[in-house]
Amino acid sequence: MRGTRNALASLVAIFAASALAFWLGGYATDVYRKMLIWVALALSYNFLFGIAGQVTFSHFAFAGIGAYAIVILAHKLALPFAVAFILAIVLCAVLAFIVALPSTRLEGFYLALATLAFSQLVLVVISEGGDLTGGTGGIANYRLPSVLGYAIRGPWYTILLVLLVAFTLWTLRRLDDSVFGRACRAIRDNSVAAAAMGVDVRRIKVLAFTLTSTLAGLAGIAYAYIDNVINPPVFGLENIFLLLFMIIIGGAGSHIGAIVGAVFLYLAPFVLEPIVGHGFLLVFGVLVVLTILFQPSGLAGLLNRRSVRVAT
Amino acid sequence: MADLLELVVSATASGCIYALVALAYLLILRPTSVINFAVGEWAATGAFIGVAVQTPLAWPGLDGPYWLALLAVPAILGVLGWLVDVLTVRPLIRRGASVTSPILALLGVLVIFREGLTIVFGADPLPSPPPFGFKRIAFGPFAGVSQQFLIVAATFVLFAATWLFFERTLWGRACEAVALNRRAAALMGINLRRVTTFAFVSGAAVAGVAGLLMSPLTSAHYLMGLPLAIQGFTALVIGGVGRIEGALLGGLVLAFVEQFGARYLPIPSGLILGFPFVLLMVFLFLRPSGLIAPREAR
Repeated sequence: MRGTRNALASLVAIFAASALAFWLGGYATDVYRKMLIWVALALSYNFLFGIAGQVTFSHFAFAGIGAYAIVILAHKLALPFAVAFILAIVLCAVLAFIVALPSTRLEGFYLALATLAFSQLVLVVISEGGDLTGGTGGIANYRLPSVLGYAIRGPWYTILLVLLVAFTLWTLRRLDDSVFGRACRAIRDNSVAAAAMGVDVRRIKVLAFTLTSTLAGLAGIAYAYIDNVINPPVFGLENIFLLLFMIIIGGAGSHIGAIVGAVFLYLAPFVLEPIVGHGFLLVFGVLVVLTILFQPSGLAGLLNRRSVRVAT
Repeated sequence: MADLLELVVSATASGCIYALVALAYLLILRPTSVINFAVGEWAATGAFIGVAVQTPLAWPGLDGPYWLALLAVPAILGVLGWLVDVLTVRPLIRRGASVTSPILALLGVLVIFREGLTIVFGADPLPSPPPFGFKRIAFGPFAGVSQQFLIVAATFVLFAATWLFFERTLWGRACEAVALNRRAAALMGINLRRVTTFAFVSGAAVAGVAGLLMSPLTSAHYLMGLPLAIQGFTALVIGGVGRIEGALLGGLVLAFVEQFGARYLPIPSGLILGFPFVLLMVFLFLRPSGLIAPREAR
């Protein structure tokens, strides 16, 4: 009964988010599409950071690898789109696995700094890749090819992004509700105790990193066709800080929190910038510190407390 | 040959700056286990305060001498470090939050400092006057800009003072004891709260001096913090977090690899930028204890 009700609610949400695509104007569509990418990235990063407890700085690097891989494979090397797509995903997964193997052995913040080094390295490579990556200018002038005779354009591409978010959320919730998800939470809370209970800590850590980084790569592929242009700065450190702040403010470990945090921090500058200019970043910094100090469960915690109070 | 010797001077000076940032990390990391990524922004703050004190560029009417900047930077940064400890770190430690919480909160502090700097000083780089001018001087075969020699001398003095403090004073021994075993030190009657505060005050002061020293070579810019934070951390990992000397050695190794690599290796100069990151990953993965092994408790 609860299952069908949830499924129904999800369908309504997907339908509403898709219907919005036909109603929005040109500029609003652009904002909406990028917001959907942020939500998809926030969801997978929340699983890695909030549920598996791994503080990493490489999430945008994997989005970048996905975006660059699809554009280079499908447009520079002119492979069939389906082949390029599969190869790009596989590349993300393999690279994530290679990075995860040594990185996940590191404790605490050392993991963050190893992945930070990796993501800076990716940035250096795509900035210096010459003709293949377009250097610091990036790559432009390509279009999403027709797949099986269907050209996905305009609002239909926005709907594809809605489905990307839905797919990401569905996958992560399935994982979260499984033995794997519980093992991830156990390792986050106390890895020694988890190991004592028979959880294969290394394997779960590597899997969580690889899976979520591959999902980031998928979001990166989708991002590549929003403006039909990609360049290095998007995948740099600035955005990974913002993503981390979204999760902290939204509420680490909660899927709803990740969505709320991403939407809130993505849209806030549109309201704040006319008032305080670039100072909105200062506001974000203050919000992060205040959240960690006074509301560690973030906005999602506020929502939960209210619903509990209503229920009792 | 002259070219090589000049490179030695320049690499040593850069290495000393990395070493000072690494020292700032170390002063905080050893007693508290908190990796404070905001030290880079603290260095940038030190650079801006130096400019503000010495030139009317940032603060109209103020045109102070260098020694005033040398006093003001550690003093103001010390107060800022104290504030950060009292407002963010201490409440988290008191609540018994995991060590990740203060580290993440300090990332928020990092953004607050950086954006605060752009609001107060603007987004354009401000030139910082070198105390001994732009004259080139030479010590035997080693020639360079006067500021480079000042950096080396000041770093040497700071490291010697830190070493003496930890080895020879009761306060220093207390900090060492906390670094080795927090609980046991507390049971011996050492005030953990005071040691933590001292760690943040001294770390911020050292970071600020590093920024002040380097700013005549690079000018003060609000984006200078993050690269410094990464380079300082790389130096720390190369040298090993166990001992003070490690920070100095790590900083010098990093700067020499960077600059000699850029000069002599047949790799496009852009890719050289990736060198420190490779070094950081290699050390984290293969030799996480760094070049100098930590000392055992005696």
